[in-house]
Order: sequence, then structure tokens, then C-alpha cells
Amino acid sequence: MDENKGGGGSFEDRLETARRKQGLLPAEGPKKSGPLDKSLGIGLRVGVELVSALVVAVAIGWWLDGWLHTRPFLLILFVLLGGAAGIANIWRLVKPKD
Amino acid sequence: MRPIGLLTAAALSFLTSVALAAEGKEGMPQLDFKNVLLKSQIVWLVIIFVVLYILLSRWALPKVGAVLEKRAATIAGDLDAARQAKGAADAAVAELTAKTREAHAGAQAEIAGAVDAAKAAAAAQTATLTARLDAQLAEAEGRINAARAAAMGALRQVASDTAGVVVSRLTGVAANAAAVDAAVGSALSARGLG
Amino acid sequence: MAAEAHAIDALGQFKLTTALGPIGASVNFTQSNLMMVISGLLILGLMVLGARPQAVVPGRLQALAEMAYEGIRKMCIEQIGEEGKAFFPFVFTLFMFVLIGNLLGLLPFSFTYTSHIAVTLTLALTVIVLVTIVALKIHGLHFFSYFFPPGAPVLLAPIIVPVEIISYLSRPVSLSIRLFANMVAGHVMFEVFASFILMMAASHALGSFGVVGAVGPMALNVALMGFELLVAFLQAYVFAILTCIYLHDAVHLH
Repeated sequence: MDENKGGGGSFEDRLETARRKQGLLPAEGPKKSGPLDKSLGIGLRVGVELVSALVVAVAIGWWLDGWLHTRPFLLILFVLLGGAAGIANIWRLVKPKD
Repeated sequence: MRPIGLLTAAALSFLTSVALAAEGKEGMPQLDFKNVLLKSQIVWLVIIFVVLYILLSRWALPKVGAVLEKRAATIAGDLDAARQAKGAADAAVAELTAKTREAHAGAQAEIAGAVDAAKAAAAAQTATLTARLDAQLAEAEGRINAARAAAMGALRQVASDTAGVVVSRLTGVAANAAAVDAAVGSALSARGLG
Repeated sequence: MAAEAHAIDALGQFKLTTALGPIGASVNFTQSNLMMVISGLLILGLMVLGARPQAVVPGRLQALAEMAYEGIRKMCIEQIGEEGKAFFPFVFTLFMFVLIGNLLGLLPFSFTYTSHIAVTLTLALTVIVLVTIVALKIHGLHFFSYFFPPGAPVLLAPIIVPVEIISYLSRPVSLSIRLFANMVAGHVMFEVFASFILMMAASHALGSFGVVGAVGPMALNVALMGFELLVAFLQAYVFAILTCIYLHDAVHLH
């Protein structure tokens, strides 16, 4: 009788695990994302984010200058804004999620 | 590691393109925006991508999704069946235990009942026997008492007669019957027999 | 000099030519487009053949197809939320198209269409146009509040708004530059090391030592191949997950 009960307990556990694995029961505890995955991604992105913000800013500045005949003032202004945008991009990348 | 590799490669490709440009050759073919093929490549890209998207979303992906759904349903069903079978087995075990306990209790009660009945019967028998014996005893005592009273009565008569005769012989005078009787009575009661 | 120029022609591999003979030439169908068609057929083949056995215990092909399906689906739902299901086919197409393009490019005599900035930029622009349309559809004109975060001082608006707009527009650029630069870098390195192998092996000055010396760059190229397989996968993954993140922003704003 006792043995039967012990065997039933382990079977129950196994059944529950299987059900959980199939998503039939709510998962136990929150899943944590790997820290390596995150830092690798950030390392890859930082440089590109800064450069692409500058590329966009220079393009806009150049185009506006041509349109308003203000070369090179808007270009200079937009390079500064582009740098700020690049830093904003990077900040968005590394800021702790709340 | 990656940024270093990227930087090296970028430097290499930059140097190569500079070297090539110095030789009067074109730089990166990807940046040769005057090339007709570069534009046609994009047109074809859009066509191919849209066709691929439609085929995948309408045809291929639902197939895989259906297989996965079917499997999830099968597994869920199997697990459910296992859970139900387990429940049924547990219920059967519980029922068996209950039945055993019930039978056990029933038997116990029956035995106790039989014992009680036997005890009661024995007690009743004892009671009737006792009553009969008591009655017989009482009757016997009554008879003894009667016999004793009769014997006592006779004794007094004999004692009075004897005393009357003894007195008349000794004195020659006929004894006073009443006095003799009283004397016998007091003598008897003095001996505890009156 | 001519030999040297030939030896380090690391960029010739990216040159576009027409494919499929005169028919392809007449419609400017390039070898890049041919590779796109091949990768499209491979993706469709994988998913359709993978789904055919319908086995409860999957075989290898089916397991691969299901892994791709479930992996991307999970990514969509985790990154975007429940609304992510609607975008799953798009993200799946994008991921597989980039991934297979990257992987096919590693085969000899093939062409890597993801090493063309025009291609990656087109894909990235598709993403950003979709994201903008989704945001406008869900939030209407409220979408433009995205460019001015709530709680920021109004005085700073002339600076914050252009910065936010540039930041928003830089998304497709960073998305496309990242993929393009990674694929070009890998292939240029391949070509350079391969050129070293040939130069050393054929060098008259080094003689038979050159053949031994050629083992060095050869080993580097083998190691590089392993690394590039990782990069091919990683870049496709990054492209897809950034798409999901942008879609999340579009659906939820901020």
C-alpha cells in the first residue's frame, strides 16, 4: 500500500511535468533571458546605431541646405542633432528596462 | 571579438577599394548606383519577396501550424487520458480500502452482537435458575419454620402436662393449670425457645 | 602589378551580372535575384516537405521546419505580445529570407544578396514602412506623440523632436547597415585569405615553402567559415528581433 502510494507520487510528478511542458499548466517561475545574449547584441549595435543616426542627419541636412540654399549651416546643425540622436539610440539600447 | 573582426575587414575592404580606385577601377559594386542591374535587382527583390510572403503565409505556414496544433492536441489528449486513468485508479483503490474497512467493521459488529446475545441468554438462564432455587429455598424454610413452630407448640404442651403431673405427684394436689402454663412459658422464653 | 591587382580583387565577388542567359538578360534578372528565387524555393520546400509527414514524433526535416516555425512564433509573441501573432508570417518570411541568403552566400560560386546595401535597405524600409502604417492604424495621429516623450520640458521641443525623428529614421539605416557590413566583412576576409593561399602557393620566391605557408591562411579560412556560419544566423536573428521590437513600439507606443 505504501509502496503503491510512493510510486503514484512520482508518476504524478512526471505527469505534471509533462503537462507543464506542453503548456497545459502555467510555467513555474519567470523565465530569465541570458545575459550573454544581451551584452553581445548591445556590443554589435552601439557603433551601427551611432553611424546610422549620423548618416540620416547628414542626408537631411544636405537636402535641406540644397532646398533652402543655406549650405553648410543646416548640415552642421543636423550633424550635431544626429550625434544626439545616435546617443539617444544607444541610451535606449542600454537603459535598464523597468 | 566581432567588432575587431569587423574593423579589420572594414579596414581591409577600405584599403582594397582605395587601391582599386587609385588604379582607376570602380569601388564597391554595391555602391555603384548608376548600374541598371542594381535597380532591377531591387525590383525583382520586391517581386520575389512579396510572392514568397504570400506563399508562406497562405500555404506553407498554415500546414506546419496545423501539424503542430494536431500534435499539441494529441499530446494534451494523451496526458489528459493518463490523468483521468490515474484518477480512476486512485478512486478504485480508495473504494477498495473503504469496502475492506466496511466489511471488517461489519464482521466485528456481528461478532460483538453474537457475544452479547449469548451473554444475555446465559444471564436470563441464570436468573430463572436463581429464581427457582430461591423459591424452593423459601418454601423449604417455610416448611422448616412451620415444623419448628409445631414442634415448639407440642413441646410446650408436653412440658405443661409433664410439669402438671410432676407437681401433682410431688404435692398430691392437682396443679393449677394456669400457673404451670405460665411457669413453663417463662422458662421456655428464658431459654429462648418461647 | 596586374597580378597584384588580380590577387586582391576582394570586391569583384559583389559585382552584379545577369543570370539565366538571354531571357534573364532581357529583363535584367541578376544572379542575385536567382539566389533569392533559390532561397525562396528552399524555404517553401523546407516548410511544405517538413509538414508533409504530419508525424507526432517528427523526423529531421520536420523537426527543422517546426523549430523555425515555433522559434519565430515564440519570438513574435514574446517581443510584441499577443498582437505579434498577426505579424508572424511577415517576420518569418523576413528571417528565413535573410538567413538562407546569408547561408547560401557561404557556398562556393554562389552570390550573397544580403551583401548588397540596396537589398538590405529595401528590406529594412519595408519593415519601417510596415511599422509606421501599423502605428498610424492603431494610434492614429496620436502616433506623432512618439516624437515628443511625455513629461519632457516644452522648451526643449525644438531639439527633442528633430532628434527623435532622426532616431526614428535611423532605424532602417542601422538595420540595413548592420546586415550589409557583417556580410561584406566576412566575404572580403574570405577573399583576402583565399588570395593569400593562392599567392603563397604560386609564389616563385617562396618555392615549395609557399605551399607549406599557404596552410596558414587556409586554416584561417576554415575557422572563418565556422565563424561566418554563426554570423549568418546571428544577423538574421538580429534583423528579425529588431523588426519585432519596432513592431512592439508601433503596437504599444513607448
